[in-house]
Amino acid sequence: MKNNIELEAIIDDYLQGRLSEEEVIALEQLRLNDPSVDHKIVTHKAFLDSLNQYGNVLSLKQQMEKAHQQIDVAALSEELRPHPSIVIKLWRRNKSAFAIAAAFLLLTISSIYSIQHSSSQNGTYEVMRREITNIKNNQNRLVRTMNSSTSKTEKGPVKNAKFGGTGFALTANGYLCTNFHVIRDADSVYVQNNKGESFKAKVVYRDLQYDIAILKITDEAFEPLSNLPYKLKKNSIGMGENVYTLGYPKDDVVLGDGYISSKTGHAGDTTQYQVAIPINPGNSGGPLLDNYGNVIGVITAKENQVDGATFAIKSRYIQEALNAIPQDSLGKKVVFSKKNPLQGLSRTKQIDKIQNYVYMIKVYN
Amino acid sequence: MSNKLSSSVPTDREVVLGILNNSEDALNRLYIGYFPMVLKFILNNNGDEDDAKDVYQEAIIILYNKIKSGDFELSSKLKTYIYSVCRRIWLKKLSQQSKKTTNNLSDFEDVIAVEVDVEVHEEKDLQFEKMGSALLNLGEPCKTIIQDFYINNLSMQDICEKFGYTNTDNAKTQKYKCLQRLKKLFFQS
Repeated sequence: MKNNIELEAIIDDYLQGRLSEEEVIALEQLRLNDPSVDHKIVTHKAFLDSLNQYGNVLSLKQQMEKAHQQIDVAALSEELRPHPSIVIKLWRRNKSAFAIAAAFLLLTISSIYSIQHSSSQNGTYEVMRREITNIKNNQNRLVRTMNSSTSKTEKGPVKNAKFGGTGFALTANGYLCTNFHVIRDADSVYVQNNKGESFKAKVVYRDLQYDIAILKITDEAFEPLSNLPYKLKKNSIGMGENVYTLGYPKDDVVLGDGYISSKTGHAGDTTQYQVAIPINPGNSGGPLLDNYGNVIGVITAKENQVDGATFAIKSRYIQEALNAIPQDSLGKKVVFSKKNPLQGLSRTKQIDKIQNYVYMIKVYN
Repeated sequence: MSNKLSSSVPTDREVVLGILNNSEDALNRLYIGYFPMVLKFILNNNGDEDDAKDVYQEAIIILYNKIKSGDFELSSKLKTYIYSVCRRIWLKKLSQQSKKTTNNLSDFEDVIAVEVDVEVHEEKDLQFEKMGSALLNLGEPCKTIIQDFYINNLSMQDICEKFGYTNTDNAKTQKYKCLQRLKKLFFQS
């Protein structure tokens, strides 16, 4: 038994490398000769390994315990705890799927957008018109209340009545051109010249497609105009050409100055020009003139998101609209007069003459 | 908070080198760095903070042993490895608890196959438990002597002084007796 203990001690020392060289050789010799010694060594080695491992894990656990103490588990678990809301649970569970779906959706939307809106000048086209309509409605409401407060026998519109848009004379006998959207929903229409005189007018032609309407002044007080100073330009005009417009965004006629920035209008619409010109609600229906006093278009709308993108219907379509009206009722045809009396005049002189032919359109409904 | 923690997560290389060199700091940062991930996983899969702690510590032990044994190759991110191990362990615990396999775990990270590592660990863990109970049954002063000598690597001289033996031979004899008993307890159980 004592021998046994000594042997164990020697094996223990041997495995821990505490034996001297001769002792190691002696033991290894013994191990070769005696399988039971070999077995003892192997067993003891396994045991010592276990013990070693035990010690390692124990100290590792202690270290981890220390590290664990540095963590604010309560706060952390509050943050990470499954949320009661199913939506958030779902969100957390499928975050990546959602991300992919969202990315895909965005991609789809943007590609659809870019396909449909290659000019990126679309959406707000409508907005502008609506704004105009809103203003018009508000104004109409105002006018209506005023109407009811004044005697019904009074003729013509109320003095303080506001405008819905602009129009300009096409013939000397009282045909005016304006936008269809200006007189849309109109029960009655009055036009007012720059001297403040109001005349009743009726809508004789509506063109929804080109947004053009033609009015005829029916008021008895209206006296035929002298010959129109301007003419309609038949051919289209080049990019960069300086243009100007007269309109009634307020009670008095206002000049807007700019240039043709594109030969196509909203979303590549070839019936329109794009004009870099400042306009406001009320400018709709105003004439767009070039430097020689030719009417080249009708201001119709503007782009809100894009700076200086105003659209004007090309004059060709005014002519088309005019063609729809019986020629004999148009009276003296001035539209395509060969000679333009404004040619060569300065801008100031031109405007001086033209403004007499530009009307404020007042709409009642 | 989680941001602060994740910012202190050491790189995988730092961890491996740190563990190989017994760096306490590397282990600390590793532990603190990845605990939130595991806590989140356990909390979202019917566990509590204590479960998370247990599972996580087991995973760290597995990683530690794997690195120490030298056959650890960085074939995946440590984060993925730790997550996968924790997931595997928790899955086992869940199935033991409810006697039915839970297939619809909420996952937050990628998962890699770690079944072998976990099984190897389970065997080692068994040994650990056996050794622990054997030491417990050994009683004092044997337990402390064995721990001091074999685990804390104290010299016979130190032990002799600590326990008041008259000479180292006495202490040695005592140690051998203790060792024999421990071996018996360990192999019997």
